[in-house]
Amino acid sequence: MNLKTLALVAATLGATAAQAQTVTVMGSTALGPLVKRAAEMYMKAHPGVQIAISGGGSMTGLNQIAAGNCTIGISDVYATEDQQKTGIQNHDIVIEPFTLVVNPSVSVRNLSGQQAEALFTGSVSNWNQVGGDDMKVIRINRPESSGTRAVQQKTVLNGKPFSSDQLIQDSSGAVMTAATTTKGAIAFVELDFAEKNKGKIEAVSYNGAACSPENVKAGKYPLFSYGHAYTNPAKADAQTQAVAEDFLKFILSASFQDEVVPKAGYMPMALAAKLKTKL
Amino acid sequence: MDFRNTNAPAGPLTEAVRPVALEGNGPVTDEALILPAQASAAPLKFKRPWALLADRGAGTVFLVCTLVLVALIFSLLGFLAWRGAGAFVAIPGNTGRILSLREVFLGLDWSPSQDRFGVLPFIFGSFTVVGLSIALAGPLGILTAVFVTRVAPRWMRAVMRQAMDLLVGIPSVVYGIFGLATLLPLLSKGWLDEQPAAGFLASALILTVMIVPTVVSLSIDAFEALPSSLDEGARALGSTTWQSIARVLIPAAWPRLVTAVVLGMGRAIGEAMAIQMVIGNNPQWIGLMRTLTDKTPVLRFLFTPASTLTTELVQELPNTAAHSAWNNVLFALGLLLYLLTMGSILLTRRLSRRRA
Repeated sequence: MNLKTLALVAATLGATAAQAQTVTVMGSTALGPLVKRAAEMYMKAHPGVQIAISGGGSMTGLNQIAAGNCTIGISDVYATEDQQKTGIQNHDIVIEPFTLVVNPSVSVRNLSGQQAEALFTGSVSNWNQVGGDDMKVIRINRPESSGTRAVQQKTVLNGKPFSSDQLIQDSSGAVMTAATTTKGAIAFVELDFAEKNKGKIEAVSYNGAACSPENVKAGKYPLFSYGHAYTNPAKADAQTQAVAEDFLKFILSASFQDEVVPKAGYMPMALAAKLKTKL
Repeated sequence: MDFRNTNAPAGPLTEAVRPVALEGNGPVTDEALILPAQASAAPLKFKRPWALLADRGAGTVFLVCTLVLVALIFSLLGFLAWRGAGAFVAIPGNTGRILSLREVFLGLDWSPSQDRFGVLPFIFGSFTVVGLSIALAGPLGILTAVFVTRVAPRWMRAVMRQAMDLLVGIPSVVYGIFGLATLLPLLSKGWLDEQPAAGFLASALILTVMIVPTVVSLSIDAFEALPSSLDEGARALGSTTWQSIARVLIPAAWPRLVTAVVLGMGRAIGEAMAIQMVIGNNPQWIGLMRTLTDKTPVLRFLFTPASTLTTELVQELPNTAAHSAWNNVLFALGLLLYLLTMGSILLTRRLSRRRA
């Protein structure tokens, strides 16, 4: 509610300032900075348009767009079936790469798909079962409602349930802190977080492939998801909806995807163009 | 809102104060009697009409403020109750399955993505963490208060109070970061052969540091309120310092000490942020404690990642789809937490009334 009011205030201020067309964006704090960067560039090119961005998390974005309270809802996860029924439309705007990471005390640097699955489902509980030293496996995961955890369950665990022997941390940052300080820890985080903590944490290849744009493009590296932008054409007025769609087109334009997206820790959508995997 | 006119120095203030002091049905203190006497030269009627208006207006302003506050509290309670009720009865906008009270409040398994919504682990978790921290903070706080009021030099009392006030002012997330970055590694290295230390003990320790200032301050008050004749009498009968403290002073202050601890408990129940960072947040902790065998039972109880009502709420409430069964149950948990906190407040009031 608070966010909604804030966004409305921002929208009203924007609208009265220059009779501008105002697009409100809400949701994922992970995608926020990227969309904000896009908004700055877009507003510079289109002086009549105001784009107001607020956070709140993926589910807030989906809840708000389903209720028609904003123009674009950004999310790391797909909308639920009930939210889909409100007529919202999905636009995949970016590839979000994830990687498995381990505490430096763990000597393993590559895991097969089977091994990774077994580590998280709990059938492997000591690192010596997957070629490492004799050390207990400490799984550090996100909460059940987390989008990252949903991706992890789909890609790494192949839909199977997580072992209940796990530590749960609220954010990717807290997961990284716990993983860097806990002996025998394994976690699943956004590539960006792994790179920012280089030295304190070790990235692990998946089926022999490291997380890189080349491997994603070649279809060798499946641990990624899409960043979503949802619109609600039924509840938005036509003019705003048109601006929103033009803005999304700008985000998907080659120049933005190739120049800005990689710097923000994401990968361009084009890499997935030929992939059959649908996440 | 300031209805004292700056152009009229002091005048309206005394006028406003006097009727209240005279009409107040509380005990008439010396101060209240002196006030009108000093101002007796001034006529009783108001000098300017606006002063009368301001006086009447003030009443309305106070009333409005109170009503706004009461409305806020009840709308919050109503909001929680409405959204929480959605878990158990069909309400408009509901998209989730209707759950039975039994499967929620008597269920041990919390796996919302597999449609299982047992919240007992959170309730047990909350009581365990609060119980442990009270067990630590109660004796610690009361004995500190004994030391400060009976043993330590006088100047130390002021220093201790300052220190306790400082501790109260620290935001809880700071305690959490301290726990995550310092306490957990310390426990893990010192006790557990570098296995993770997240769990009840770490949370209880952090909570103890957070509530001990409340317990100490109120316990100091409790001991200071005792008439010195108690201590003197005990000594006259031949008690040592320790006997006087243990057999006379602590029993005499007991009701107030209990109030101090219950107030600390009130703070402990509602704390979310700091615990969330050190407890490990595992909803399946009950089953895990049963199946794990790599530690002794005591260590397993203290160091298995667990979760509480508050930690679950702070983590999942913002990330669930509105009006889904999952979301509704979380609102019901919020309501439960609200009622628990309210209960502890009522308990405190009852206890302190018995004292008086």
